[in-house]
Parts: sequence; C-alpha cells; structure tokens
Amino acid sequence: MRLFRLRGDDARDMSNTNPSPKMPPTRVPASWYWSAPNFAVLIFALAMLVLVWVLQRQESETARAAMARDVQWAEQTMRLHMQGTEEFLGQLARELAAGTLDGDGFQVRANQHIANNPELVNIVWVTGDQRVKWTAPFDTTDWLVGDGLSQVQVAVLARSRELGRPVYGEAYVNGRNMAVLEVYLPVQQGRQPLGAIVAVYSIERMVAHLVPSWFGEKYRLSFTNGKGELLAANSTLRALDESLEFSVPLDPPGNGLALEATAYHVDSELPKGFPIAVIVGLSFFVLWSLWALRAHMLRRVRVEKERDRLFNLSLDMLAVMAHDGLFRRCNPAFERILGYSPEAMPGSSLLDYIHPDDVADSVVRLRSLAAGTPEAFENRCRCADGSYRWLAWSINSVPEEKLMYAVAHDITGRKAAEEALHHEYAFRQSMEESLITGLRAIDLTGRITYVNPAFCRMTGWSREDLVGSAPPFPYWPPDEIEALQHNLELTLSGNAPSTGFEMRVQRKNGESMDARFYLSPLIDGDGRQTGWMASITDITEPKRVRAQLEAAHERFVAILDGLDAAVYVADAANDEILFANRAFKSIYGFDAVGQRVGIYGLPTPPDTNWYDVDPRRLSPQQVPRELYDGELQNGLSGRWYHIRERATRWVDGRVVRMAIATDITDKKRVEEENRAQQERLQRTSRLITMGEMASTLAHELNQPLAAIANYSMGCVNRLQSGEYRQEDILTAMQKASAQAERAGRIIRRVREFVKKSEPRRQLVALSGIVEDAIGFVEIDARRHVAQVVSQIPADLPPVFADSVMIEQVVLNLVKNGIEAMRETPAEERVLTVSARIAEHNLVEVSVADRGHGLSDEAREKLFSPFYTTKAEGMGMGLNICRSIVEFHNGRLWVDANPAGGCIFRFTLPLETPLESARIDA
Amino acid sequence: MKAPESTPEQIIYLVDDDEALRDSLVWLLESQGFKVAAFASAEDFLRRWRPEFNGCLLLDVRMPGMSGLELHERLRAQYCTLPVIFITGHGDVPMAVAALKKGAVDFIEKPFNDNDLLHLVSQCLAKERESRDRRRQDAEVSRRLDQLTQREREVLDLIILGKLNKQIADVLGISIKTVEVHRARVMEKMGAQSLAELVQNVMAIEGVAGRS
Repeated sequence: MRLFRLRGDDARDMSNTNPSPKMPPTRVPASWYWSAPNFAVLIFALAMLVLVWVLQRQESETARAAMARDVQWAEQTMRLHMQGTEEFLGQLARELAAGTLDGDGFQVRANQHIANNPELVNIVWVTGDQRVKWTAPFDTTDWLVGDGLSQVQVAVLARSRELGRPVYGEAYVNGRNMAVLEVYLPVQQGRQPLGAIVAVYSIERMVAHLVPSWFGEKYRLSFTNGKGELLAANSTLRALDESLEFSVPLDPPGNGLALEATAYHVDSELPKGFPIAVIVGLSFFVLWSLWALRAHMLRRVRVEKERDRLFNLSLDMLAVMAHDGLFRRCNPAFERILGYSPEAMPGSSLLDYIHPDDVADSVVRLRSLAAGTPEAFENRCRCADGSYRWLAWSINSVPEEKLMYAVAHDITGRKAAEEALHHEYAFRQSMEESLITGLRAIDLTGRITYVNPAFCRMTGWSREDLVGSAPPFPYWPPDEIEALQHNLELTLSGNAPSTGFEMRVQRKNGESMDARFYLSPLIDGDGRQTGWMASITDITEPKRVRAQLEAAHERFVAILDGLDAAVYVADAANDEILFANRAFKSIYGFDAVGQRVGIYGLPTPPDTNWYDVDPRRLSPQQVPRELYDGELQNGLSGRWYHIRERATRWVDGRVVRMAIATDITDKKRVEEENRAQQERLQRTSRLITMGEMASTLAHELNQPLAAIANYSMGCVNRLQSGEYRQEDILTAMQKASAQAERAGRIIRRVREFVKKSEPRRQLVALSGIVEDAIGFVEIDARRHVAQVVSQIPADLPPVFADSVMIEQVVLNLVKNGIEAMRETPAEERVLTVSARIAEHNLVEVSVADRGHGLSDEAREKLFSPFYTTKAEGMGMGLNICRSIVEFHNGRLWVDANPAGGCIFRFTLPLETPLESARIDA
Repeated sequence: MKAPESTPEQIIYLVDDDEALRDSLVWLLESQGFKVAAFASAEDFLRRWRPEFNGCLLLDVRMPGMSGLELHERLRAQYCTLPVIFITGHGDVPMAVAALKKGAVDFIEKPFNDNDLLHLVSQCLAKERESRDRRRQDAEVSRRLDQLTQREREVLDLIILGKLNKQIADVLGISIKTVEVHRARVMEKMGAQSLAELVQNVMAIEGVAGRS
C-alpha cells in the first residue's frame, strides 16, 4: 500500500515536471528559421530586381549607344548632304560671280539639284540689294522674284557676307506651315558682293529623305530649334519610347538646331516592367507560399506537439514496437508505472518484462500481431523494483511498417480489486456454505428472496421450496401462524425488536427447534431498502446448555453457599474480593465482594509471614500453586479458622488467591480437649485399664453371682411351698454350681491379666519421679498461676516401686491440688510436694495444697469410685491412686492442711525382699 | 409362698442377653407362681411384642446390640403401656436414673435381693392390673356414651352440670315428661344404678377434659 502510494506520488511529480523542460527547445528554432526564408526571398527578389534593372540599364545603354551611333550617322549623312548642297551652291556662286550663269542655266541646275536632293525646297539667288533675282523652281511661291528679304534674312545674309562662307539661318516655319532652314552663300565678285545664293531646306523633307528608311522605322527623328520647339518629325503617329532618345546638335547649320531621335515603342517585346512585376509577383507568391507553409507547419507542429503531449502525458503506457516485440519508443508512463526510464526501454523486448507465467500467452499474441491482427490481452510485467504489475495491452500492428503500436493500461489496482473481489466472493461463498447461522432475506412484501444453506439445513426445506414463497412460510408451525404473522408484520413495518424474535421452527420432517431471528434492513447498492435480512440461530442446544449451565451454576453456588467454610477469591494483584460465599459473607458482612481483603485482617500480600512467594508477582503460567495452609484467629470474633490459600487462574485469566477458611474453633476446642484427654489417658492408660478391668470384672462377676442367687432362691421358694419336682431342683442346683464355676473362671482370667500387666517395680529415686510429674503439670500450673514446690530431701533412699505408676499418682495429686486452689488468691497458690522417711521402712510423700479443703462428708466419699468434685472428673483418679498405692503396700489418705487446704499423703515401702516375694506368689 | 395376685393373663416379660441369668430368673419367678416369657435380646422382644401384652417388662440395661434403654424408647414410641423394671449392673445407675425419668417404673441393681425383686414385680403387676381395669371401664363408658342419641347426650350433659329436670326442659325447650324419659334412657344405656355413679363414670373419662 505504502509502496503504491509512493509510486503514485512519483507519477504525479513526473507528470507535473516533465512537460515543462520539453517545451522550450521546440520553440527556439522556429522563429529564426521561419524568418530566414522570408528574408532570403526578399533578398532574392531584390537581387533579381537589381539584376533586371542592371540588365535593363545595360540594354538601354546599348540601345542608347546604338541610337547615338545611328543619330550621329544620320547627322553625318545630313551634313554630307548639306555639304554637297553647299558645294553646289558654291559652284553656282562662282559661276554667278563669274557671270557665266544666266537665269536659265540657273534654273536648270538648281532644279536638277533640287530633284536630286528632295530635301531642298528652293534655291534662290538674292542680289546684293537683298532682292530676289532668281528662284528655282521657278513656280515657287515662297520666293517671289523681286521680293525683298526679311530682317532676319538680311541679318543672316549680312553675316554670310561678312564671314564669306555659308551661314545657316534660323529654322522657321514659313507661310505654308513648313519648317524650313535657309543657307546663305555669299556671292562675290572679287571684292564686290553680288548677293547670295540661298538654299531652302525643308526640315520635314530632311527627316524623310536624308536618313534611310529602317532608321525611320526604328526611331522618330525630329528637329528642334534652339528654343526646343519641334520643327518637324518623321512620324507622330506611333508610340514613342521617351526614355530612349538622343539629340545631336546639327552644326552646321547650328543656331541651336538639333536632330533628335526617339526610339519607337516596341510592341512585340515584353513590357519593360514585366520582369520586375514577375519577380515581385513571384516573390510575393513565394512569400505567400512560405506563409502558407508556415501556417501549415505550425499546424503540423501543434498537432505533433499535441500528439507528443498525448504520448508523454498519457497515463497509459504507449509504445511503438517492432514486430519482434522490441521497443522502439516508449512514453514516460513506463517510468511511472514500471519504473523504467523510457529512454532505456528501446532495444529491450516486451518479453523480457513479462511474468514467466504469462510469457507463453504473450508470445502467441505477438505472433498473431505479427500477422497483422490487432490484439488486446492482459499480462503481468516486472517493474524496476522487481514487483509485478498487471497491464492490459492493446496492440495494433501495421505490417507495412513492421511496427506495432501498443497501449498498456495499468490494471494492477483493478486486478487487485478483481482478485480481492474474487477472494471476497470465494470467501463469502465459503462463509455462506460454512455458516451455521441461517440467513434469510425477504423483500418488502415479505416474500423470501434468499436463503443460505445453513437455513435450509435448519428448516429441512430446500432452497427451491423456500425462495419465492410468501407467508405463511412452510417452516411456520401451524399453531403459531398468527403470532408469527404478527412478528412478520412488525418486521416489515421496521418495528422488529433489536434483540430479535425467538420462535419455534417446524422442520420439514415435523421436528421442531427453537431459533432466534435477528433482523436488519437489506440495503442495495443505491442505498434503497429492498427488504429485510434475518439471521437465524438454532438456540435449541444453547437453550439446553444455558439451562444446564444455570443449573450447574446454581449447584455450584448452592454447594459453595452450603459450605460451612468461608470461601473467597481475591485478585492477587490488588487484593480485591471477587467472590465470596455465604459463609464468608455471614462472617465478614454481605458487602464483602469488591472490598479489600486487608480490611478483614485476613492475610494480604506481601506479608512474608504468610507467603513464601509474593502472589502479586505470579504470572498465570506459575499457577495453580499452594500459597498458604495454616490456622488463623479472627481478631474480632476470636474464632479460629483453618485457612488454605491457593493461587489460581480466575475465569477471566488473571491470577487470584482462592482461600477456604474453615471455622475450626469447635474442632480446635474438641481437639484441645481430646489432646488433653489423650494426654490424660496416655498418662493413666494403665490405670484406666485397671479401672476398666475392675468395672468389667464387677459386671462379669455380677452375672454368675446373680444367677446363683436366683437359682438358690428359686429352690428355696419351691422347697418352702412344697410344690416341686426333685429333678427340677437338681437341675437348678447344677446350673447354680455351673455359674459358680463361671465366676471362678472370671476370677482366674483377671488374675492372668493382672499377672500380664504386673507393674515393674524396681528401686527408683523418688525425687526423679516427682520432678518428672511436676514437669508434666508445669503448663497447668502456669495457667492457674500456681507455684509447685518440690521439697524432696537429696538423701532420700530409693523406693521399690513402678516409677510410671507412682508418677501417675503424684501427677494426679498435684493436678488435683492445683485445681483445688482455683479460688485461692494467686499469691497463696503454692503447692508443696515433700517426702520424709516414716516408720516401718516407709517413705511418706505429702502433697500439700492451699485450696478450699474438704468437708467431712467429702473426705468420707473421697475414695469411693465415681465420686468427684470436679465437673469434668471421672471420679476414678483418687480411687485408682489408692489402688496403686495399696498395690505397692502403701496407704493413701488425706489430712486437713493447718495452713488451709488439704494434704494428701501416701506411703511407699523402701526396698523389702518380702514384698517382691509376695508379688511373685 | 403362693401367688394370689398373679392373674392368668398377666405375664412377666424378661429380656436379658445372659442366658444363665435369664434362666435363673425364670426359675426364681416361676417359683413364685408368675408366668414368665424370656427373650434373649431386645430385638427379639420388639419383634414379638403385641399391644395385647399384659403384665410387666424386666429389662436388662446393658445388652449387646439394642440396649435396654433403647428398647424402652422404642416401646414408648409404639404406645406400649407395659410397666418396665430395669435390671442394672454396677456403674449403670446414672443410666437407670435417666430411664426412670423417661417413665420406667423402677430399677433394680445386680446382684439383687430376691425378695426385693419379687416385691417389685408384684407391685408392678398390681398397678398394671388396676390401670388396665380402669382403662377397660373407661372404654365401656365411652362405648355406652357413643350409644346415646343427640338429645340424650344433651340431657346427660345438663344432668352432669347438676341441672334439675325442669331446668333441663327449659334449656332444651321440651317438656319435663320428655326429659324424664330421656333421663331414664340415659341411665339405662349407661348402665348406671344411681345418679352419682353416672356422673362419676362420665367424669372419669371426660371430666378432666372439661367438656362443656
């Protein structure tokens, strides 16, 4: 889970950071390489323009040069013509001057010349008085013979006379709207001015005739005067190329006359601006196409960028693969999902990453892909960290390119979910199968929609029987349908008790069982309630078990409460009483549970006087173990308890001390008494035996004696009455005799017994016997705060006696004495045991007390059997004592103590061989 | 010696475990004319005891098995009215005293003087006979009382209270004549010769109870 989240974070980080560094590099070159073509196109266009301009310039220069040549050639031609005319005129002038020329001659010559030179209009001879004398052609009207010359003409004439050479007048337009040029050649006879020959050129004719015809086709020739006015031109109709014109001054005639040639516009050739237009147009076209291309490229780039982004930002793994499964290109999702850098992937094969279990299937898929069939499949791929992730591959193949385009979607989560779902389903399935709780669902109308196998087992009805059935359901006992219907209505109205219903279920085979129904609303995926789900538990067994448990618990409590012993259970750690039985509560109070043990003065850890181990430190593994076993007196009631304490494990697992306190006060008292009795009995065992023997002997002897008496008296009575039969009397007497024998047998038996239990008499020191006896009563003496003083003379000779029996006698007398002093003031409670040698080889032993003394009557009965002054006495003690003493040939008697109380005295013989001899007999 | 006081139906029942003593006692008692039935154990006697047993019981205190005291208790529990004399040995005196307190007639200590025993037994039998006669008489009176009719019984009750015939007639609301008839019938049925005898007989069984 943790790993997964980390992975997810990484993926997010990458998706955030990845695109930004990738974007700028694609943007940088775009601006300059897109302006370069534009710039180049502009430069190229400019260069082309320059080139065209240069070419045109060159062409124009060439044309101009050719024109200049042509024009100069034309001017030269014209001057040659004009020089020819001037020569002709000079000839005429000389003839004239020579006078060889008459008018006719003139006429002929002049007309001839004019005919040859069509540019000439008139040849006139002007006399010195500036009068026209001759005119050729004669019919000309411009020059009329006899007319005078105009001022301008006179001036020209004058200047030619002055210069003596031909002078050209200024061109002008004559009356016939003809531009004419006049040349004046002076005629001199010697030094005598005779006038001048004037040739009139028609400028128009000059243009038309003085240049060849091709020239006229090529150029428009025109003459302009000094003022720039057009004088004549060879054509005015055709379009002119104004840019190409050449003007040459015509000198002579001078005067500002200029020959100007203008090239005609050539229609058949391309217009001069055409190349430029073409270039500009093409440039624009190129620019436009570039722009269009750029737009297209931009679109392409955008599309590509989008595709790249799609490729790079795709959450699914995208890859281009060769047909053999080798990666060609992978998107960053590979790193995000599998952890491999997309740059490192190309060259490795898809099969390298596939889980061994999935390889076979994947190979089949790849083979199918190689054949061109698209495939979609799922497999597990190994991540960089070694784990495997489920991927859903969708691969399309392009056989022509031998490439496959793959999309892989990480379905690990889905797989996990599917797996979990599968597991969950299987789990639920098995749960449903193994569930022992019955489940039943009903819809909102009460119809059964679902039952689980446990429910079917419980009811004995099959699923088919139950599902779809409406109430009353088949498992309802017929006699409870009404109540169950009511329950169902409660359920459907949502008022079913949270503790469920307890009901009887009738099984299919007629058996019935107790079941408990718990109901909860059935909610579907949309949160709508679709019905009610009931879980049914078979409580037949639990009910029985509960009843048994309750009974067992009651028995347990009854037993514990019935015990006389107080039982309690206390937490070992905090001393809290967890359980106490009735006996305990009746002793310590009925609120004992929950209290601390300590408040009752009962043993409480860590009292090392009580516990060898500290119960608080015991772990549950160390129990059960014995903690304490002993007796304890309750400080309040003074009663004794035997307490047995164990450390054990309580029902909830903690360590507890369980103590059983048995009231042993009575037992203890009885024991105490028994012990005292036992002590007494043991000490006097032989005496008791003798006493018993005596008692038995008396009873035993009574029988035969009584029988003898009866027989005898019966005989006597009969004999007195005289009504008897002799044989009866005989029989009776024989019977009496037999009883006498029986008595004798009893006596014999007693003697045998006495022989067997004969005292072992020997010489013993009386002082030792007395000291032993006093030692026995020390406890009694201390209890009665009485002092026992022994005053046995050290030089007393030994006595011949059974030390045990005599000790008993002394003991008996001492005890009696101590008890007799019960009422005596404590300081006077002194008992003295003394001995002295009396006459007749006797030792007299005295036991003197300071008690209440004895009345005469008491003294009389003192030694009779069964007489006692003591509540617990048997009345045998003194009797036996006397028997013992008498057995030793002594005497036991009592005297009053002069100091108050009594003195018991007995005598014992010193050693006498006679005594021993008598006993033997 | 003769045995004039021993009536044929009176028997001395003797329980003692000691055969010699038992046999000798039978011998002795029979010598005085008593009828004796001897039993070897308390259990044996208890088994054979019938309420009709008449006479007295001589019982040894100390016996193996059920003791004499115990048998006494058992018999008392069964409403046995036989008077009991305990025979005790030496040292059984406190026991015998306890038995006396529980209703035994007397005890005698072994070995005993035969005259003492015989005297005791005779006394005991006489006392028994007397009480038996009284019981029988009481039973007769009570039987006769049962034969009276309701009215006669009412009349009798008033007679015992010392009422005159007239007073009786007033109380019961009947005529004096009728009272007289009833009275005669009562006398006849009760078998009384005189008024004094009638009253005495009835008082003997009912007077102590103080019947109103």
